[in-house]
Amino acid sequence: MDKEYKRFSGGRRYNNDEITVYWKPSACIHATYCFKELIEVFDPGRRPWVDMSGATTEKIIDVVNLCPTEALTWKWNDEEKNLQVGEDQLNHIKFKRPELLNTNETYPEGDSLSVKVLADGPIILKGHFTLIHDGNQKEYQQSMISICRCGASNRQPFCDGQHRKIGFHD
Amino acid sequence: MEENKGKKSHAIVEVIESGPLKITGNFTLTDVKKNTEDSPSEVLLCLCGKSGSKPYCDDSHKM
Repeated sequence: MDKEYKRFSGGRRYNNDEITVYWKPSACIHATYCFKELIEVFDPGRRPWVDMSGATTEKIIDVVNLCPTEALTWKWNDEEKNLQVGEDQLNHIKFKRPELLNTNETYPEGDSLSVKVLADGPIILKGHFTLIHDGNQKEYQQSMISICRCGASNRQPFCDGQHRKIGFHD
Repeated sequence: MEENKGKKSHAIVEVIESGPLKITGNFTLTDVKKNTEDSPSEVLLCLCGKSGSKPYCDDSHKM
């Protein structure tokens, strides 16, 4: 499940006890706020480049919120807290990468698929299904993938966040 | 119970070339307003972004 999830999110995630930070390299425009403000956590010369033990949760959230794209986003590990996050938290996944929400939801049981259409965003497929694309057939079990709905993704048929750049609206 | 649901089978999701996403089998569909439809028999969802009746395909991709 972990593996599927990482592939779906198009990047990596890092967590401490309180929050998870998502990194999506394809969205990075090298504004450099992250490492100029907090090299202790975000050090491009280190592997892994994100060290969540390098600063307080509060400081990490402040710096992630400076990222001008969805390259860095974050969420509380406590899902209840995510529901209460306000719009001042610019880079909370709720505002920048809603496709990452509710990932702790249980998958539909057995031979079943849940299809969710996100407003102004992709189609989320979750559960057990067969995907046929370009003559290939692949089985997914207890999996989640997002399918591009705006037509602009560079990694079709999957979503790569382009909908935001082109201003796709329902 | 499961026997009764036997008409519905494993969900198949097909990306139709230069066309919509075709979903058949056992699935639920939740739209942008969070309305959930249980077990529709088949849906065609727009993938080109041009449909006038999103999220459904209205053949606008052929234009």
